[in-house]
Amino acid sequence: MNITQEDAQRALQDIEASRLAMRGAIRSHRGHLFLWLWGLVWIVMSALFWADAHRFQYAATAVGVAGIIASFAIGMFQNRQIRSRIDKRFVTVCAVLLGFGYLVWPIFFGGLSSYKAGFGYSTLLWMQLYIVAGIWFDNYLLWVGLAVSALVVAGFLLVPGLFWALTILCGAVLVGSGFYVRYFWR
Amino acid sequence: MSQLDYTIHQPARLQIMSALCQLLEGERVDFTYLKDHLGLTDGNLGAHLSTLEARDYIAVDKEFVARRPKTFVAVTPAGRQAFAEHVAALQLLLAPK
Repeated sequence: MNITQEDAQRALQDIEASRLAMRGAIRSHRGHLFLWLWGLVWIVMSALFWADAHRFQYAATAVGVAGIIASFAIGMFQNRQIRSRIDKRFVTVCAVLLGFGYLVWPIFFGGLSSYKAGFGYSTLLWMQLYIVAGIWFDNYLLWVGLAVSALVVAGFLLVPGLFWALTILCGAVLVGSGFYVRYFWR
Repeated sequence: MSQLDYTIHQPARLQIMSALCQLLEGERVDFTYLKDHLGLTDGNLGAHLSTLEARDYIAVDKEFVARRPKTFVAVTPAGRQAFAEHVAALQLLLAPK
């Protein structure tokens, strides 16, 4: 079988067309929907706490629960098309971190004293997962985790008057990361 | 030295391999999704996948999702390498001598 230069040229064009089409399709599965969703959830929760933490605590919790349900729905839909193998070691690391963060610390060490401390602590806990995921999978999540953690720590320790504004900015970081993932990241 | 691979060079299989090589390691694509994406029929795609699977270029997994059988397709490391070598060989053909 001989392949002429014209055949080779045509084959490379077909390959490029298929590559571009598939890459476009894959981009819709790269996690930006979760970043957008949780960025918005975060912004709404921060705004509610900022407005009146005591009054809106149940509403903020409901927003978080809605985010979890929406995440499951997105995950189930995406898994029908492109599915990643679950890394059991990574899932175990996440479970250990969350178990420690939400069970050991609050139960055995007395928990946290204010809405600000609670929200900041919860944020840092989840950002540790982003950082671990970023290191584990060598991707952008490391930088998202570090940036958001820095904003929360700065708001809590250095400029407490801007704490809630900075947590809203954290939500915006997630939304912005979603746009990066959707339109620029491989 | 890159070599042309005549198993891959068939037009539909070129498209299949090109599409699958865009997946990250450990990712698999649903058969129906791939079929719609490439504009092939069930039988056509199935036949090409069998050819590629026989060469260990792809892995085909069947499983039940919500009690329905689903087929997922992934490219193997050998498939990635063979495809990369084939593309390099095609580019070499076009390179000025």
